[in-house]
Amino acid sequence: MSIAFTTSLLTLFLLAAIGTPIAYSIIASAVAYLAVSGQDLGIAAEQIIYGIYDSFVLLAVPLFIVAANIMNAGSISERLLQFCVAMVGRFKGGLGHVNVVSSLIFSGMSGSAVADAAGLGKVIIQMMTKDGRYTPGYAAAITAASATIGPVIPPSIPMVIYALVSDTSIGFLFLGGILPGLLMGLMLMTMNTFISHRRGFAADEVVPLRNIPGITVKAFPALLMPVILLYGIYGGVTTSTEAAAVAAAYAFILAAVFYRTINLKNMREVMLNSVKASASVGLVIGGALILNYIVASENIPTLLAEYLQSLNVTPMSFLLGVNVVLLLLGCILDATTIILVIIPLFLQTCRLLGIDLVHFGVVAVINCMIGLITPPYGILLFVINGTTGIKLSEIIKEIWPFLIALLGALLLLILFPQIVLWLPQQFGYTGT
Amino acid sequence: MHRKQSWWSARADDVAIAMLSVMFLAFVLQITSRYVFDAPLGWTLELCLTMWLWTVLWGSAFCLTNQEHVRFDMIYMASTERVRRWLAGIAAIAVVLTMVASAAGTYDFVSFLTIKKSGTLRIPLAYVFSIYLLFMLAVVVRYGHRMLHIVRGTHMDQLDAFPAQGDQR
Repeated sequence: MSIAFTTSLLTLFLLAAIGTPIAYSIIASAVAYLAVSGQDLGIAAEQIIYGIYDSFVLLAVPLFIVAANIMNAGSISERLLQFCVAMVGRFKGGLGHVNVVSSLIFSGMSGSAVADAAGLGKVIIQMMTKDGRYTPGYAAAITAASATIGPVIPPSIPMVIYALVSDTSIGFLFLGGILPGLLMGLMLMTMNTFISHRRGFAADEVVPLRNIPGITVKAFPALLMPVILLYGIYGGVTTSTEAAAVAAAYAFILAAVFYRTINLKNMREVMLNSVKASASVGLVIGGALILNYIVASENIPTLLAEYLQSLNVTPMSFLLGVNVVLLLLGCILDATTIILVIIPLFLQTCRLLGIDLVHFGVVAVINCMIGLITPPYGILLFVINGTTGIKLSEIIKEIWPFLIALLGALLLLILFPQIVLWLPQQFGYTGT
Repeated sequence: MHRKQSWWSARADDVAIAMLSVMFLAFVLQITSRYVFDAPLGWTLELCLTMWLWTVLWGSAFCLTNQEHVRFDMIYMASTERVRRWLAGIAAIAVVLTMVASAAGTYDFVSFLTIKKSGTLRIPLAYVFSIYLLFMLAVVVRYGHRMLHIVRGTHMDQLDAFPAQGDQR
């Protein structure tokens, strides 16, 4: 490690640790690197600018953010919820299941876990806690846990970012997320059934069968969204970036014309929230691109790969080890930061060890999503705490069983790559 | 505790909203013309990319408060007022120093691109990328201002207060 690189890392960790915005910490560390190594300080800006300006793929990020915000503001999420109550509310632990199933469907429309928790989550937590049927902590915990599925089932903002750093196909990554997302849902529902029986949560009112057609018709346009998106991407009709724009446009038409829930005033709010989310993520992405430039020019991924190879690690022990590291980092770091900064370090080793990069990417993204609910730094816990006022300590107390369920799913995915790779292979993916 | 938003910052928000809206509409136009009318447009993509770059840099410079950035704030939040003041002060100085130190190099990089024009709209890239210079200037002013408040002894809770906004990542 050169002196320049050491200085840069120290700057980064020190500034980030004291609460400087991550993006500015990265830019500062890059400038420090360039200064110590005697290079032109303008390179930092050059890397950020071209990183953002040259990437067609990245355009999907703001578009998916806009789509998710419109769906929440336009109460599209709520109609979906009513549909799910009618479908699975009748079973033991009903609203818990509703929670998971609605997240599964919503995740087919939105690529952001936070959007899921902030939109759907708030409504369903109110429903679950209304008559004291579920404790607030339990309702919040299952909501946070099921929101992690959002970016696993396509579309997915984190997968777009992973595709950017790893040069893998977004289409195959998206496909690779479908079965794992369903598996995560299944694990959570199993855990919910188990806990509901043990703690004797009351069953919910059964929605009469004759009401179901009406509710379905109301939710139908919203239910069509995942179909449009998937058909667009896999029918070879649109690229995933275009699909993101279509999703946003479709959500807008639904909310403005069909449900009539959105007007000029809340549209300003929607766009402003989207600006803030896009800008904060975009700047971190830009920053991470300079950092990756530095890490690459220092040859770190190759050195790491050679070192790990000299230790004779097997692909499986490498995967398990990386996942433990990512989980630990997930307790204190933001998912975007991990995907952009930490994961690229391991890609070279994956290639050498013959680990499939789509498999690795899906597993890593799921791992980072689990990191969104691991205390002490779990952004989903904060979002739910912020929108509902349920105490963090109560949520954290109830989160553990769901965390175990999700970790179980993660372990299965690491051990059996076929769960991830089977679907992409059906669509012609040939990576090993 | 909500700080009242100033007229200027509301207008800065409007500009950012306009940029993101233009990007979105240009993209929809591009898709419509390509798939519905079978007449692909070239300039829409460049407009989208330009607006995306501008939204990120303008938004970061003028719309996001310090607290709204992606941050690791566990240590900061757990600290006392006195320690926070130090941490925030060091952070502000570091950010200002970074921007000031790289200003000359960045200016050279951007101004050099007057000779290079963008792909389809043929706009000199120096104009497209000049937003980065504005971004740097705004960041210096904002963090300089923050530093001033810290030195003057404004309470950190008050300085960090911001209107609650949905956060989406």
